[in-house]
Amino acid sequence: MLLTRILPAALFALALVTLSSSAQTPIPPVDPGAQALNQPVAPATSESARDVLARVRPAVIQIKGFFGSNTAQAFHGTGFAVAEDGVFMTNYHVVAEQVQYPDKYRLEYRTADGKTGNVTVLAVDVRHDLAVVRAAGFTPEPLKLEPVVPSKGERAFSIGFPLDVGLTITEGVSNGKVEDSFDPRIHYSGALNAGMSGGPALNTNGGVIGINVSGYRFEQLVSFLVPAEHAQALLARSLKEKPDANRLRRDTATQLRQHAHTLLGALSGKMLTQPIAGYQLPAKIAPFIDCNAAGDPASNQPVQMVNVNCSAKAGLYVQSRLFTGDLRYSHYVRTTDKLDAWRFANKLSELAGATGAFGSRRHVGPFACENRVVALKGFDASLMVCTRAYRRIEGLYDFTVRVSSLNHPKRGFASHLDMYGLEFEAGMQFIRRYVEAMEWQP
Amino acid sequence: MNHEIVLVEILDSHGRVSLRERLTLSQERPRFTVGRSVSAEITLDDPHVAAMHAEIELSPEGKLTVSDLDTLNGVTLAGKRLRGAKNAEIADGLLQVGRTRLRIRTSRETLAAEKPDQLRPASILRDPAWLAGIAGLAGVLQLIYGEWLNAPRDLLTVVVTALISGVVGSGVWISFWALLSRMLRGEWRWLRHAAIFLGMAAVFFAINGVLELLWFMFSLPQWTHRTAWLAALAFGCLLYLHLVNASNIAPKRAAIAACIVPILSGGTVQWVQQRQTMQNVNYIGTSLRVYPPALRLSGASSVDAYFTRAAQLRETANEKMKAARAYDDENEAADED
Repeated sequence: MLLTRILPAALFALALVTLSSSAQTPIPPVDPGAQALNQPVAPATSESARDVLARVRPAVIQIKGFFGSNTAQAFHGTGFAVAEDGVFMTNYHVVAEQVQYPDKYRLEYRTADGKTGNVTVLAVDVRHDLAVVRAAGFTPEPLKLEPVVPSKGERAFSIGFPLDVGLTITEGVSNGKVEDSFDPRIHYSGALNAGMSGGPALNTNGGVIGINVSGYRFEQLVSFLVPAEHAQALLARSLKEKPDANRLRRDTATQLRQHAHTLLGALSGKMLTQPIAGYQLPAKIAPFIDCNAAGDPASNQPVQMVNVNCSAKAGLYVQSRLFTGDLRYSHYVRTTDKLDAWRFANKLSELAGATGAFGSRRHVGPFACENRVVALKGFDASLMVCTRAYRRIEGLYDFTVRVSSLNHPKRGFASHLDMYGLEFEAGMQFIRRYVEAMEWQP
Repeated sequence: MNHEIVLVEILDSHGRVSLRERLTLSQERPRFTVGRSVSAEITLDDPHVAAMHAEIELSPEGKLTVSDLDTLNGVTLAGKRLRGAKNAEIADGLLQVGRTRLRIRTSRETLAAEKPDQLRPASILRDPAWLAGIAGLAGVLQLIYGEWLNAPRDLLTVVVTALISGVVGSGVWISFWALLSRMLRGEWRWLRHAAIFLGMAAVFFAINGVLELLWFMFSLPQWTHRTAWLAALAFGCLLYLHLVNASNIAPKRAAIAACIVPILSGGTVQWVQQRQTMQNVNYIGTSLRVYPPALRLSGASSVDAYFTRAAQLRETANEKMKAARAYDDENEAADED
């Protein structure tokens, strides 16, 4: 979930929730400002946040995107100074539309004091969702990057322009690096809202430990930061670059291919399987693959089911409605002791029906498919592999794979594998390893 | 010829006799007149007929001729309207004056042989009642099988529900054709239309089921529009049979209509689907019907062979992407570098 893209409907719903809850609970309506002043707060916390904000405020800008010559903004995020001469760090997803459609979008900054000017993108790191930009005519003192992941429980602050309500600081704690994640992220237990993307997250010394990037919209303060080390690497690279829209687009494509390569590289180990109803099926094949399995505990059902869903959660945001470099797979395993082979086969047919992985025709072409019965280890299965090419990113393909077992009158499974934005050869090799790992071992 | 008996039959719009007049012609006066006037020998109620409209003469050789008595509408012979005709031959005894059709019969006509009166038709397959019954029973069995296959919790309820919608659906269709028959041929022909519809439906579902099973048994390559083509074929046959039974259309014309309508409608649907597929990049359009594994008769291909073939998918996907791009409007094409 991306911070810049909260739906107005969601905001509206939030407003409704606030209203109705205040109507139900006996809290008299007070001016929030007055309440904050009257509220007794821990002096240390208050001072610290105030100090950090005072120190950092001049270096933070709001970055706004405009479609064509419109004066109303299309999207907005936050940025902060990281080098002399007006060089700022932000998220790639804040400036993505402008990078992908440089003729259609323009970028502007607005400082906390209301000063405005043009923004140019210098370099992007799609893999870590970072971008380095230059703000014309605004050269505040840069913030210091401190590429050390703070330990769990250390206090941290995050700064940005949430929902266009002005410069805001939130306080929380760092929970260290996210475990078993393909994306290197710091888990920040503090509020991050739409519009704060690209803003700095700081330790109590005012050093930048990470960059605000995402959070779960309907969870409680589970937010994520890009570790500052990646910002440092991008900064070092970008200072040599001159602004060039074509190079930026080429860079994003190259980085997406690299990411695809890295992802499948990380999955090139042994294809671990788990036994379900006599079948060995690919399970949690790497630590960062997230799997969950569920079944129906009622034993009187005509068909017993176990569903396993796994996801790499490695997709990169490229632009609106386009994520690439991700994969997920599901197994739908069915057994019966009540149904005859004829009706059980019909139940398996229902699982075999295929719709392709989600994609927009703006970004991908139609599917091409191969569909045959193949002999896998110990059993025959119907195997369908479909692939489609990307329109604007050369060399990337989506894959949709459906495997349906055809070997047992009372047991069977359908396995769905969907992969987004991978290279063709590597994708095919992965699919082959995926199906070759399957085995019938009653 | 001294006296010749002539029977003048006035036909209704379905060709059935609504009135008969028997005339005796003599050598002296071998002719009679038709018209709206009481002075005419055959008086007609048709406002498109003149007071004295036509004169019909029987020659000694038994030839019938008609003369138009200078009327506005003339006489119609073999579908051709003649004005001011004199002694035009009435070849088959059929004649139209105004909007009234007449059949003139003489004692010299040749009659068809007597039909044997059978209590039952030669075969039950020629009896619409039997056919409709058998087809209906087959339909009900197929419907029960279809519901049974889904292994519902309460088979009886879903079967009854499906039966009700089936009866209503086929009732509407059969009623439509029965009504058309009544209008065009003057008979309802309920049983015939029921037999045609239920029979075709039963045959279609049976063939479709058998094909599906065959495809599974022999692991035949996917044929995306198999069911659609079969349905178009069945619809064509259905249309032909309904048409020839409901109207007086020539079988040749009915056959042409039965070919054109499914081809046009099926072709349009396929064309629209193809255009939509071009736009819907998430469309796969393959579905697998699974049967018990014991029914599989052909072997499976090796993983090696499969992936050798699948390697060509890159080429196909690229071509499809290019075709989709070409299809897109200029606006979006301008997006491409």
